Amino acid sequence: MKTFDFSHGATSLGLAHGPGILDFMDRNPGYVDYIEMPFEQLRHNPGLASVQEVAPVVLHCASMSVAGFIPPSQETTDAISQESARTQTPWIGEHLAFVSADGISEEADRDTAPTNLTYTIAPQLSEEAVERVAINLSSLRPKFSAPIILENSPQYFPIPGSTMGMADFVAMVSSQCDVDLLLDLSHFMITSINTKVDASKEIEKLPLERVVEIHLSGMNLQDGIVWDDHAVPAPPEMFDLLAQVAKRARPRALTMEYNWESLPHPVIVSHLERARNILARS
Amino acid sequence: MNARNVHAVIAAGVHHPTLLSKWQMDSALLRSKGIAPETIDLPALRKFAGLTLKVRHNGLRPDLPLTFRLMGLAELGIEVFSEYATHSDATGHRYGKTSAERTRDLIAFLEGWLDLKQRNHSLLWDMIRHEEALAQIRRSTNEVSSAAADNPQPAQSPLRASTVPRICGQVILHRMQCDPKEVKSALFKRPVRLDLIPEESHFYCYWRRGDADEVHILDLDEFGFYSLQFIDGATSVAELSRRMGGDKRPSQVFKAGLRQLARIGILDLHSALKAEIA
Repeated sequence: MKTFDFSHGATSLGLAHGPGILDFMDRNPGYVDYIEMPFEQLRHNPGLASVQEVAPVVLHCASMSVAGFIPPSQETTDAISQESARTQTPWIGEHLAFVSADGISEEADRDTAPTNLTYTIAPQLSEEAVERVAINLSSLRPKFSAPIILENSPQYFPIPGSTMGMADFVAMVSSQCDVDLLLDLSHFMITSINTKVDASKEIEKLPLERVVEIHLSGMNLQDGIVWDDHAVPAPPEMFDLLAQVAKRARPRALTMEYNWESLPHPVIVSHLERARNILARS
Repeated sequence: MNARNVHAVIAAGVHHPTLLSKWQMDSALLRSKGIAPETIDLPALRKFAGLTLKVRHNGLRPDLPLTFRLMGLAELGIEVFSEYATHSDATGHRYGKTSAERTRDLIAFLEGWLDLKQRNHSLLWDMIRHEEALAQIRRSTNEVSSAAADNPQPAQSPLRASTVPRICGQVILHRMQCDPKEVKSALFKRPVRLDLIPEESHFYCYWRRGDADEVHILDLDEFGFYSLQFIDGATSVAELSRRMGGDKRPSQVFKAGLRQLARIGILDLHSALKAEIA
């Protein structure tokens, strides 16, 4: 089983796990240092653990609901803990989001079961939500052998009751919770476009020195909203933003979230090379 | 507005998109849950519900890569899945456990929802059936007939009115409003010009002979397409001729068409031969 090695000091480059990843690594040796594996995929299909015979694994997670008010079940946190220990992941990248919430009923006084989603949602961007993240992290952190780092969410619509923008929110969470960051540049750019702010200015509000891992993926515009899309290549502007971030950040890892076989290998190779060159220059 | 209430309302709207329409029609419902109606973008939330459902269908991508690419480039993906999410919530539809079930259900939804007069809709309808047919026929290795599977017929088979033709192997037939090969090509050109794809009928036959691995995609003529639709291993050539609008005494042209299919190997005109008629 392969485990992470940071002794070379450079930023490691990885790919998010997807159907074609082993074929890509076989045909393009030397480009990928690690595989980012969603905990939920491992839980659903334990056989995927065998990828660690090929490359180290960084664990990604969408189950902690770290900005939510409904905690994950003991069974879920136990399973994350087991995978964290087994994979020897250097950290657990979790979404700064919620995936469960109180259920609601049309009848005011009636209790309903929580709503459990399959996709994370950006939380209210408020001090109340920051406090909630702090409370949740204090109970989650002792359960895992690896540190939790938090990933900025993409914002597709205004979140009622918000009192700040996404960059300020992430910065406040990092500061008040003393937590490192997984900077998803695609999420950041999507949020900036959808909320009509300048990404290159907003990103300077982030504590970039706390960025441990970076995500890159594609995006697409549909119905007037820009959406996250792991099946299309990152646009050139994403690499410009990476270059800007790399002037201040020293990430230990950069993951290309190209999960689907729709991208030709030469495109993935050229993007890995481009990212490696940007990070090496900085 | 406290965060807990806001999260509860957003999650409920994404999970049950039919609620979004109710809230849109009666904003007092939102107020009763502690949300100022003017602060929430319900149409965007509905689209987001589409994104979450699209992601839940990512497991279909290996079988339907061009369909997903087309939905992205034609800017249809979010609309399709937000409508599907709302439809599923309204009807109590539960998503299938396997990719095959989910694909089948998605196609069933699209059949009712797509407006085939819209060019991008008809392209999507053709492409998803094209890729689903290929996936289905590749999956069904154990279901194919072995009749004369590896034995294409000679050109001059004795063909009688009483002959009962049988299909060798498995076929899936789809009438298309475009050529899916043209769509595939267009999806990888820059700039993408879906409007330049010719609108024309194609009669596609997906065929695997016996237990062979290879899947053939045949672009048939109208006669071949409808012949294969009627051939069931029990109907005689005479009856086929009648059902296709001809005489009970099959014409030479009709028989030549069947012989052509036999020459390809898709029809067996020998093994089910019945007593000759005068």
